[in-house]
Amino acid sequence: MPPFSGPCAVAQEVYMKKKKKSQTNVVTLNVGGQIFQTSPQTLSLAGPSSLLSSISNDFSVLSDHHFIDRDPDLFAVLLSLLRTGNLPSKAKLFDMQDLISEAEFYGLQSHLVSALSNPSQFEAFNLEKSLILPLNGRDSPSAISSTPYGSIHVAHGSKITSFDWSLHKKSTILTQFSAVDSLLSISPSIAAAGATDFNGLQILDLEEGFVRETIYWENQTKSSSTVQAIGSSPQYLFTSFESGRRNSNSIMVYDLCGSLQPVMEIARQEIYGAEIDSALPATKLEWVSSFNLLMASGTHGGPFGMLGNIKLWDLRSPTPSFELKEKVDCFSDVTVSNSLSAMFKVGVNSGDVFMADLRMLSVEEPWVCLGQGRRVNGKKEGAGSKIQSHGSQIFCSKGGDVELWSEVLMGSSRTREDGLRDRVFRKNSMGKAKDMGGCKITSMCFGGNKMFLTRKDQQSVEVWQSP
Amino acid sequence: MENGDSLPAAAAAGGRVRLNVGGKLFETTVSTLQTAGPDSLLAALATRSSNRNDDDEEGEGGEPVFIDRDPEIFSIFLSLLRSGRLPSTARRFSSQELADEALYYGVEGQLRAAMSPPPFSGIDASVIATVRPASDAVPTAFSAGAGDGSVWIAHGGQISCYDWGLAHVGTIRTHLDAVTSLRRVWSDVAAIGSETSPGVHFYDAASARRVGSVHWSDPSDPRVYKARVAAMADSGDSVFASFECRHRENCVLVIDKSSLRSGSEIGRNSGNSAKSLVPTKLKFIPENNLLFGSSVTSGAFGCSGYIRLWDVRSGDMVWETNEPGSGRSSRFGDSFADADVDPEESKIFKVCSKSGDVGFADLRRLGDDPWVYLEEKNPSLRNTGTGGGGGGSGNNITTLLIHCYRKQVFVGREGALEVWSPVKGGEESSVCENSYTHRRNYVDKEEGTSSRGIISRMEGGGERLFVSREDVEGIEVWESSNFAGAIPVS
Repeated sequence: MPPFSGPCAVAQEVYMKKKKKSQTNVVTLNVGGQIFQTSPQTLSLAGPSSLLSSISNDFSVLSDHHFIDRDPDLFAVLLSLLRTGNLPSKAKLFDMQDLISEAEFYGLQSHLVSALSNPSQFEAFNLEKSLILPLNGRDSPSAISSTPYGSIHVAHGSKITSFDWSLHKKSTILTQFSAVDSLLSISPSIAAAGATDFNGLQILDLEEGFVRETIYWENQTKSSSTVQAIGSSPQYLFTSFESGRRNSNSIMVYDLCGSLQPVMEIARQEIYGAEIDSALPATKLEWVSSFNLLMASGTHGGPFGMLGNIKLWDLRSPTPSFELKEKVDCFSDVTVSNSLSAMFKVGVNSGDVFMADLRMLSVEEPWVCLGQGRRVNGKKEGAGSKIQSHGSQIFCSKGGDVELWSEVLMGSSRTREDGLRDRVFRKNSMGKAKDMGGCKITSMCFGGNKMFLTRKDQQSVEVWQSP
Repeated sequence: MENGDSLPAAAAAGGRVRLNVGGKLFETTVSTLQTAGPDSLLAALATRSSNRNDDDEEGEGGEPVFIDRDPEIFSIFLSLLRSGRLPSTARRFSSQELADEALYYGVEGQLRAAMSPPPFSGIDASVIATVRPASDAVPTAFSAGAGDGSVWIAHGGQISCYDWGLAHVGTIRTHLDAVTSLRRVWSDVAAIGSETSPGVHFYDAASARRVGSVHWSDPSDPRVYKARVAAMADSGDSVFASFECRHRENCVLVIDKSSLRSGSEIGRNSGNSAKSLVPTKLKFIPENNLLFGSSVTSGAFGCSGYIRLWDVRSGDMVWETNEPGSGRSSRFGDSFADADVDPEESKIFKVCSKSGDVGFADLRRLGDDPWVYLEEKNPSLRNTGTGGGGGGSGNNITTLLIHCYRKQVFVGREGALEVWSPVKGGEESSVCENSYTHRRNYVDKEEGTSSRGIISRMEGGGERLFVSREDVEGIEVWESSNFAGAIPVS
């Protein structure tokens, strides 16, 4: 017997009078003894699968007020959410898990998620270090990945711990990896994982803790296929494989909407002789949706310093649309921003952030230095720095700090001969003075209205969000 | 009734109940109250008011039922009955208050189900509490035998009982000064023994009195005199206690649980060599009706000991291994430091004294050398040796403990706690005789491993693991709690 008990048989007189006066565009609900009045339109906003919209439909037939056997205080919060689309401030008095389970009962989870963890509420300038998600055991996170609404998966040692969008710990599973090097969440409960010392790409169910599928790459030497990087577009899953003997590598494209069937193979390289450039597998894959391009980058640290290359692939053509070989001040990390139409790198020697405008890429001199352009002093200032774009900002980690680069739009700047303006970027250090420093940042990712950081030797994930 | 078309039976089942609890009005349905169970006060109220609805035209329009209790706690229980989960407002009350009030309304079962921790997983566990008795708090023995997450602790001749919510139920004083074996054999009866004082004694915790005693006696052998207890285990109807006399003559005595009288003797030993010492660990395997016993002594030449399995019905030994010595052990000179049996998986696990490796033997395939040694794929966790530099490091003998619980194997190495968890799925696990069936992980954090103290005893109970450490007051309670979520940065 569901708690919702159908039309009330014996109504109290007061409400009967009220009901007769007002017409059917007012719905009266009795939730756990408290009377609520609202309109059927408001209730129908809850969506067709919700309990509340079924009441609003039901109402036209049985014109009596309804009894719902639930907590009235929590219902009041959810009703305001339905009316305004925002959570009222008094919701802070309640525990988030209470609200979530109540929203589940009424079928309002999606309303709650979009009111609390919406990617559109991400405010880069207003992020504060606010929470620590502790991980059990002795392993520090090796890879993290989040979903658009802010669920996060953390790989630490041979385990993957998942937190839901409200940062409530959902599960910890044991994997077959000794350490996960690449992790990509496909949904709040499914992730793709790979490692540079493990044969094959695994699709893991993180709730139940089993391997849904293991995908191998058939290479010529018939050796194992290790995963160097994973990326995705709305349609495809990209995986950069290297053969176990390290003499061939490739990027495989899988159909993400269907059953992960291989769609195509791009950037296949077989290595003959000592040609270093083709021996570099892609270690970062990023989809550039505004240009329909896949950015693939890889580096190699040799006796003469770092070497690297960046390729932009159009999936329809067999050769890269653009290829950049990095020899001087090679990137330590590189990212592409869709909304800024530009590629950004952090130089391994200088530690400076550089930009290359995707609309006017030149092979000779693509990079514009955004910083002071310090002289290279032989130290590797940018070693281990990470750079990541989110929204219209660039986040670059330097040791234990994060630099936030944003474009300043100048109304009256001069236009160059090629029709594009000089672009002005400025940086800020993120966080208050007390939040600065700390152990070296090892990865960054973004989801919902939050930024997630992991640090070296810290068995936790740091959450930055707007207060 | 107003709309006479509706079925009266349906209306009664979904009928509404108004309650006035301590001055606050609540409205709910009969069916919600009935989820409390047929014997509860709330279900009784529900049936009463629904009966009244049938007879009485006014129905619930009449006076609400008055209950003279705290309305805030009642609202917690009402939410619990409605949704099956405990609302966060429950944290305002102590678990003792909630349990007492739940007893009044008869919703203790629901409260327990909602408060019980999630399934215990060693890869995701943290210390949620340290249970510390008020005086003489260094535990000499403890038992988590009831399986509901409760624990009884022996300390300084006292036994302190903590219930499933880890609330202190009571402490009783026993006539023994050092209780070194404790086993909860009935829900309120503990069997205790001491290494300094003879006999097994049964104490009723509720009445705080000794209800029985069993001594090992053998009229035909005058040497059997003042035998003391070294270890205990129990099955559904018997308690097994290993006794040792001053002359080291020893045996396992089967004690009938209902009459608390001694029965047969199992595995009597003379105690004149390492192979015939008293078993210091006993465990009952219900599936095969076997009793597992092991003994380890460590001396100048390392550890030596045995593992034996006895058939409880016949009292015969069905299998034994002695280390060093018997069988064709592939690990010469690396005898076990501790062993335990996992009845769920039908496997015996041991931890080697020199290499620190963990090995297992399948109970269905026991032979001369049944051991399969577990290997970890992760290179950074492969070296299990704690003696520094590949084991064999002379006289610093590390304290190693092994305990099987919930298909996981917990190993205490000095102060560090690790877990070997079975790997699910994957093509490798189809082969049973495989070293890669388990993965190794640390349960604890690296910080303060040395200062926490050496682990002296581990035992699982309910969804918890209890750990005591040498010369440390209290018992650590490990749980896989999902509520230990985000910590705000202040």
